[in-house]
Amino acid sequence: MSDITNRGYAGKILHLKLSTLEYEVIPTEKYVEWGGGNGMGTALYWDFCEDKTIQDGRDEKNVVVIATSPLCGTATPSAGGRCEIVGTACGLYPESFFSRSNIGGRLSSMMKYAGWDAIVISGKAPKPVWVEIQNSLVRYHSAEALWGKDAHETQLRLFGILDRKNEGWGWQPLPGKGAGDSGYTTQIPAIAAISQAGERLQTMAGILHDAGNISGQGGFGAVWGSKNLKAISVLGTGAVKAADPAALIRARFKVKERYAPDVQKPDLLAWSFLSYPKPIAFAGDYDQSRRSACVGCVMGCRQRFSTGVGNQVKCQASAWYLAYIKKYAKKHPEEIDLNNEKQIVEISNYAADLCNRYALNTYLFQHALPWLEGLWHRGLLGKGKQVPSELDFDKLGSKAFVKEFCEAFAFRKDIGALFGDGFVHGVIKLGLEEDYKNGTLDFPYWGIQEHGYDPRAEVEWGYASILTDRDVNSHEFNQLYWNISIYTLMGLKPRISAEKLVHLIAEKLKPYVDGPECMDFSEENIYSDAVLNLTRWYIHYNRFWKNSALFCDLRWANLFHSRGDDAGNEGATGDPEVGEQVYWNAVTGENISIVDGLKRGYRVIVLQNAIWALQGRHRDKVHFADFIYEKPFEKGEFPFYMWTVRDKEGKWRYGDIMHRKLDREKFEDFKTRYYLAEGLDPKTGWPTEETLKKLKLDFAIDELKEHGKLPESNAS
Amino acid sequence: MQNSEPKFGGMDRRTFLKVLAASGVTATAGAAFMLPGTNLMVMPNSKGYLVVDMAKCMGCVSCMMACSMVHHGESSLSLSRIQIQQDAFQKFPDDIHMAVCHQCEDAPCVNACPVEADHVDIVHGNIRTIDPDRCIGCTQCIDACPWLPKRLQFNPKTRKVQKCDLCANTPYLDEKGGPGGTQTCVKVCPVGAISYVEKMPKQHDPYAYNVNLRDKSWVEVGHTDKDFKLNEGKV
Repeated sequence: MSDITNRGYAGKILHLKLSTLEYEVIPTEKYVEWGGGNGMGTALYWDFCEDKTIQDGRDEKNVVVIATSPLCGTATPSAGGRCEIVGTACGLYPESFFSRSNIGGRLSSMMKYAGWDAIVISGKAPKPVWVEIQNSLVRYHSAEALWGKDAHETQLRLFGILDRKNEGWGWQPLPGKGAGDSGYTTQIPAIAAISQAGERLQTMAGILHDAGNISGQGGFGAVWGSKNLKAISVLGTGAVKAADPAALIRARFKVKERYAPDVQKPDLLAWSFLSYPKPIAFAGDYDQSRRSACVGCVMGCRQRFSTGVGNQVKCQASAWYLAYIKKYAKKHPEEIDLNNEKQIVEISNYAADLCNRYALNTYLFQHALPWLEGLWHRGLLGKGKQVPSELDFDKLGSKAFVKEFCEAFAFRKDIGALFGDGFVHGVIKLGLEEDYKNGTLDFPYWGIQEHGYDPRAEVEWGYASILTDRDVNSHEFNQLYWNISIYTLMGLKPRISAEKLVHLIAEKLKPYVDGPECMDFSEENIYSDAVLNLTRWYIHYNRFWKNSALFCDLRWANLFHSRGDDAGNEGATGDPEVGEQVYWNAVTGENISIVDGLKRGYRVIVLQNAIWALQGRHRDKVHFADFIYEKPFEKGEFPFYMWTVRDKEGKWRYGDIMHRKLDREKFEDFKTRYYLAEGLDPKTGWPTEETLKKLKLDFAIDELKEHGKLPESNAS
Repeated sequence: MQNSEPKFGGMDRRTFLKVLAASGVTATAGAAFMLPGTNLMVMPNSKGYLVVDMAKCMGCVSCMMACSMVHHGESSLSLSRIQIQQDAFQKFPDDIHMAVCHQCEDAPCVNACPVEADHVDIVHGNIRTIDPDRCIGCTQCIDACPWLPKRLQFNPKTRKVQKCDLCANTPYLDEKGGPGGTQTCVKVCPVGAISYVEKMPKQHDPYAYNVNLRDKSWVEVGHTDKDFKLNEGKV
C-alpha cells in the first residue's frame, strides 16, 4: 500500500478507454503534487489528451477527467462531497477550450470509498455504454436500453439493475460476501448520467448526479454524449485515511461552534455564506421539505420536498422561471394564485426539475429566455419569422410552456436546434449579432451568460471570468454585495462598518495585497494594482482551495463573519484553528499555509494558460462583449449594487457601484499588468519559458514550442 | 420476520426483573449474567441512548464519517456505527432513514454472542459493546439484531463485528466519550438531528428512537415541526 493512501488519497486513478472498452489503473502518486480536483484534472488532461489543439469538446480526441481531492469523503466542512470535472468544453464563443465544472452530492466521496482519486475518460465507445464501478470492479455495460432516457430515469433504472439482491435498505455485501477487498454497505450507488440533451450533443447539456447535482457549465453532458457515455455508477465500501484524524475532528467541532449556522438560534441576517442558516432558494418557503446537503456540508443549501419535485434544487435554479410564473399569474389568476406561495414554489420547482431531468444548464436560460421573449415581442420570433419557432410565448410562465421550452432544448428541436452548437453561435447565424454586441443578450464573456454579478460593477468576478475560461462562479467577495444590498434594501444598519470590513478582508489577502485599497471598487480604483492583486488572489484561491482541494464555493472562502455579536468578525479562511489549511494538513499530513495553497493555484492556472495557448487563445481574444465597454450597467437584482468604496477624503463607506461601464483601454492595460504579474507574455497572454521553468512546468515547454506558442521571457 | 418480545418464565422482562429485585437478585448495578439453571441473560440498562429525528436530518453523513474517523482513524460509511440511508429521488420525509443502535434493554446481540465478546460494559455506563479481542466474527449478533439495517457492522478487514459504543472507545477523539461524555455524531451534526438521552426509550414502540427534535427555530428557517411516524425498520 502506497504511503499516500494513509493521507487522504485512494492511491489509484481509473482510465476508461472508451474506444476499446478497456481500462487501466494509474497510480495517483505522480499527480499528488497537484492536490486534487482542478489541478489534478488539468495535469491528467495534459498527459492523456494527445491533441490539445481541439476547440470543441465534442471532438473524439477530447479527454474528460472527474477528479476528487484528499478531503472528499471526509468530514471536512463543506468539502467532503465536491467533485471536479475538466476537459475541453463546448458551446463557448468564439471557440471552446479547456474548462471546468463542479458537482456536489455523493459522487466524489463514493469514488474515494471505491478506491479511485480520479477517472480519466478518453476515446469514444463504439456503442452507447454505461460504466459500473464497485470498488476495484470496473465493467462496461450496453446503454442501448438507457439511450433516450432522461437523467433521472437513467439513474432510477440503474438503481434497480444494481440492486441485484433486491435487499433494499439493508446491508449489502459488495461484490461478494466477505471476499477479497469487498465490504458491506447500506448505501445506494452514486451515479452521474446524461439526458437526451447530452445524447444530441446539445452544448448546454450537463451531467447530473442524484436528483439535482449538475455539472452545468462547459457542456460536459454533450461531451459525454459524443463519447457514447450515458452514465457512470460508483459504489464503494472502503475508507479515506487521514494523517491526523483527531485534528480533523477537533477542527470540525470548532468550525461548528464558531462559524456554522446555529439552527437553535437562526440568524437570518448572517453575513457570510458559511453562517447562513437557510437553504438557498429564491422561490419561497415550502415547509413540507427538508434541508438537503452534499456530503460533509455544515449547512445544506438544498431541499427535498414532500412532492418529490424539485429535490436538491437550489439558488438560481430554484427561480430561473419564477418571474415568468408571477407575470403569468397576474394575467391568469384562474390558473395560478399569485398569493399562494406553495403553488408558486411548486411550479418553480417543476421548471427546475425539468432542467435537472434533462440536465440543462439553467443559468443559460436565466439570460437567454428574456432575450427570446424580447424577440417575440419584437416580432422576430415565431412561426415563419427570422427565428422560427412553434413556441407560444403568450403562455410564458405556465407549466405547459416551460415543458415545451425545456423539451425543445433537450431534444434539440425548434429553438433548441438553432442554438444547439452554442448560444452565441446560433445568435450570429440568425443574423442577430448586434443583440450580442449591444447587450440585449446579456452574455458578457466567452459567449456565455452573465451570472447576476455584472462585470461593470463586480469587477473581480468579471476579470476572473474573462482571464480564465468561463463564468468563474466564485463567491468569495460576492457575499459582500448580497449582504450590504439586502441591508440597504431593508433600511438596516450593516453590522460591520465599511472601514472594519475592508481591513478584515485585506488581512486575509496577504501577502497579495498590502492594505485595504484592494476593496475600493470605485470607478477610479478598479484598474489599480491593488484590485489586480485581489484578482490574482481570487483566481489562485479558486484554482487550489476551491476547485482542487474542493471546498464548496457557497461556503468558502470565509473572509469575514458576523453572527451579530462582536466575536471579532474574522472569517474562518486561513484561521489557525479552522482555516482551510487545517483540514488539508490534518488529512494529508502536510504542513502548508493558506498561501502555500495559493501558490499551487498559481501553478495550476499557468498550466491551464499553456493549454489555452495551444487551443488558440491569444490576448486579443480576451475581452468582454462590446456592451460592457459601451453601455452603463443599469439593471440588476436590486436598483443598486452595494460594495465598499473609498471617498475622496479617504473615508470608507458602502456605496452603489452600478451605472458605469468598463473602459476598454484601461482594461487592456490592466490585462498587460496582470500578464506580467502572472509571468505570462503580455503580448500574447501565453506562459513564458522562464515562468514554466520557475514553476517546474518544464514538461509543457516542448509542446508549446512545437506549436509556436512559447514566448521566451517575461520581459518580451 | 418479527422477533417476539422475550419471555422469562411466562413473564415479560420488566415484570421478571421486578421479581428478581424483590428476591434480592438484581442486575442493575452489575454486569450481565446468566440466570442460573436457565439460558436467560439478565443485563443492566445502558445509561445512555441515541435518538434521532429522521425529518430533520439533511443527509450530509457527517455523523457517519466522523463516527468512523474517531473509532478507526479513517472515514468510511461502511465502518460507521450510525447509518444514514438516503435516496434523493424519494419524497420527504421518506427520502432519509437513520439507523442508530438502540442499546436494547434486553440486547439480542449480547444474548446471541457465543463467546461473550458482545457484552455489557459496566465501566462505560452499561453500553452494549463488542470486545474485538474476543470476537470470532461469527456474525450471530448481526443476525440477532431485530432491526434493518442491522445496527452492527461486519468489518471485512478485521473479520470482526463492531457496534455503537456511544464513543466510549474512540482513540481518535480528543474528548472523553461514552455515557456522560461526547457522542461524536451528536456533536458533529450540523442541524441537531441526533440527540443523546439518558432515559431509555420505550423498547417495544417502533417509533421510540425516532423523535421530533425540531422546534420553533426550525420552522423559522422554513421547515415543518410536524410529527411524522417513520418506520424504524424492524424486521
